[in-house]
Amino acid sequence: MDMLTEMVHIIVAFAVAWILFIATDIIFRLPEKGGVSGAKAIGEEIEKAGGNINGGYMMGNIVSSPDASAGTLLAACGVFIAGIWGGLFAAVLVYIGNRICHDKGYAGTTGAVIATFVIYAFITYAGFAPEQFIAGMILAILTIQGISHKYASKVLGKLWRLRA
Amino acid sequence: MIVESICAIVALYASIRILAEKNTLRKLPFLNVLNFAITGLIALILPHPMGIAAAAAYFVGSTLESNAIASTFAKQSEVADD
Repeated sequence: MDMLTEMVHIIVAFAVAWILFIATDIIFRLPEKGGVSGAKAIGEEIEKAGGNINGGYMMGNIVSSPDASAGTLLAACGVFIAGIWGGLFAAVLVYIGNRICHDKGYAGTTGAVIATFVIYAFITYAGFAPEQFIAGMILAILTIQGISHKYASKVLGKLWRLRA
Repeated sequence: MIVESICAIVALYASIRILAEKNTLRKLPFLNVLNFAITGLIALILPHPMGIAAAAAYFVGSTLESNAIASTFAKQSEVADD
């Protein structure tokens, strides 16, 4: 595969992973409140720095327990290593991880299962490679957690108001 | 090679942001990005069935640590407020 095609695939994988994990997390109401005291504290700290409180809660929840973004990443790793069964095995591990982190929700597990089938469909019908989704998911989490907490939380807050 | 490079560059960038950020609670989202990048690298370097378990164990473990650090800080600030 030439370099240009691979880069285009990674950009498409990034967009797919971004939409997939943000939509799943918002459907599972992650921006509503901090699930554990630590997530709440991170949300409040982001608000103090000029961000949006709901976006901050969602970012705190992503830090504190494996959510749909972690589900998507581990599903991509699973599919890369062992195909569709690897992805579903990763979903089981995410479920165990949620319970270990005192998370009562199912955002991570659901995200991992959906991501497994989406990634598998892209591999089968569009000629993607699973590792491109690993890179895509890492770039997607970078845009939310790693560039500007203030603006990322505002974007998440806007999307949450559409849902609420 | 591009995929591995993206993981490595993102990991390096996240670690620089962690060092530059003064507030501990606001370090944690950057640490989260670093954990994602390392988890991706573990899976890419270890394409073996146990590699999935290793990547997931690393990720869940580091998430639990972040969770514990954030909860401890939250409790401390509650005590300070009283």
